[in-house]
Amino acid sequence: MSRDTTLAKIGEFKPIDLLAVAAAREVTDGDVVFAGTGLPMLAIGLAQLTTAPTAVCIYEAGSVDGRPISLPTSVGDARCIYQASVASGLFDVFNQLQRGVVDLAFLGGAEVDKYGNVNTTGMGKYGIIPEKRLTGSGGNSDINGLARKTVFIMVQEKRRFREKVDFVTSPGWRIPKWPSGEMVPKKEVYNRAFRGGPEAVISNMGVFRFDENGEMYLDTYHPGCTPQQILENCSFDLNISRVSGETKAPTLGELDLLYKTIDPEGIFLP
Amino acid sequence: MAKPVRMNLKEAVAQIPDGAMLTFSGFTIWRRPMAAVYEMIRQGKKDLHLVEVNGGTHSDLLIGAGCVKIWESCWIGHELFGKIGANLARKAEAGEVIIEDYSHVQILYRMAAGSMGLPYLPTYASMGTDMLNPAYDNLKTAGLRDGSNPKIPKKKYEIVSDPFYGGELLHMPAANPDWCIAHVQMVGEEGTVRVEGQLYSDSEAIKASDNVIIVAEQVVSEDYIRREPTRNLISGHQVSCIVEQPWGAHPTGCFGCYETDGSFIQNFFKSTRSQEGLDAWVKEWIHDIPDYETYLERIGITRLEQLRANPAFGYSTTIKRGTR
Repeated sequence: MSRDTTLAKIGEFKPIDLLAVAAAREVTDGDVVFAGTGLPMLAIGLAQLTTAPTAVCIYEAGSVDGRPISLPTSVGDARCIYQASVASGLFDVFNQLQRGVVDLAFLGGAEVDKYGNVNTTGMGKYGIIPEKRLTGSGGNSDINGLARKTVFIMVQEKRRFREKVDFVTSPGWRIPKWPSGEMVPKKEVYNRAFRGGPEAVISNMGVFRFDENGEMYLDTYHPGCTPQQILENCSFDLNISRVSGETKAPTLGELDLLYKTIDPEGIFLP
Repeated sequence: MAKPVRMNLKEAVAQIPDGAMLTFSGFTIWRRPMAAVYEMIRQGKKDLHLVEVNGGTHSDLLIGAGCVKIWESCWIGHELFGKIGANLARKAEAGEVIIEDYSHVQILYRMAAGSMGLPYLPTYASMGTDMLNPAYDNLKTAGLRDGSNPKIPKKKYEIVSDPFYGGELLHMPAANPDWCIAHVQMVGEEGTVRVEGQLYSDSEAIKASDNVIIVAEQVVSEDYIRREPTRNLISGHQVSCIVEQPWGAHPTGCFGCYETDGSFIQNFFKSTRSQEGLDAWVKEWIHDIPDYETYLERIGITRLEQLRANPAFGYSTTIKRGTR
């Protein structure tokens, strides 16, 4: 099927469209992908219809390689298992993750630090009486710990891109080694289960990657944004010296797939 | 264990004492035993200790209604229909409920170890995170890891050396809840359980628990459910009692039977973000009505029919879900 490969201009796409498309580009054909609710579902759906037709999608509630014809609203949704190879449960799919089967996972978070540690648990002071409680880890932490590559999709704000997150829910490239709490490279903690870690963070302003030391740098800035604006929306000393250019806009064909084939009901794409 | 006893919902729930450790079937907003949760609130249960692989609308409601003292799990919210468990957040921030945090695998392995009769299971999951921060071991801070409660392990976890291949890994202690309440599609008269669609962590939760209440959309003859044993999940000897309650997971969804009632959950989320809102909601939907049949009458046949699953797909094809 030929698709219109003309790049959409500013004003012809929404920020959420660019997030979905940029995330879809992270999928390599043949990847086994763990995807969560929302944007990750759009990204894996788009990738399977374009550049990664043999990618396999696993949802953490227990569906394996489903071929939904109607977009699920969560990973527990009945739609996830339409034409799936297996409908099992958490024990099966998380065991596969621990076994090393998962190549790529898409995740979200409330805060991220420069090593890719992510917080989805609570803001402010934590302890027996938390200052502000969020949802908690869910599979975020396990998936980031044990998949080969993870991609975070997040809102860019100064208070979300932080030197140190309030609670390390999900492990980045440098993490505490308990019980002492000393910060060490992830490899030292995960030893034989170490396979990788955060590959990219995609925000509504840019795409970030991690260098040899596991520190975040700006790779591309989205159309309409500048590296300087991104620096202003980040509260740590972000490296912008390696920026490679502007993030490629969605093509008209990709937008068509997103709105007409993947989410025709307007569940995640308003 | 003897063959399970058939009873009604009130009788089944009445068996659960205050302070019991409890777990549930389902995943976030799918196949949660909501009718039983409403009944627990109606009966005024107190000091419950929830240990669940993940939370959802059922546990956020139970917590908001003041029935819960401890919540051990990894996540709570209402998916697309409400981003956080606002009732748990409010109660925890007020110091009224103790949260013990895990990752999905850590709490799942606690339940799996319990289901296997093992004291613990090893995993690599979520090492190097604040779930393992000793300062955030909230049950210990509360003085509850002193060994006086046999359901609360003396340690939250242990990092151990791998004796076979080297390196270190994490041991997670087993969880064996006093009670599991599971909502399923079908159960036989002798307790054989059939679950359709994704199995979530039902098998681990049921097998780990000392007592199991199965609430089913339909109770069928044992002869019928045993014609295809490969489709069954649990044998009746691991079930304590069975209850027939059609639509008993509403507003959460039940594969093959009905859809998640998103707008109902969204309304619950919006109107229960304050304690006053929660109290008014509980009065309207639980205390002011005598039972679940009246609740279903209030939802109405038109709405229920919209939610009903199309048998070709296992979900509703008539309900409006998005903005288009």
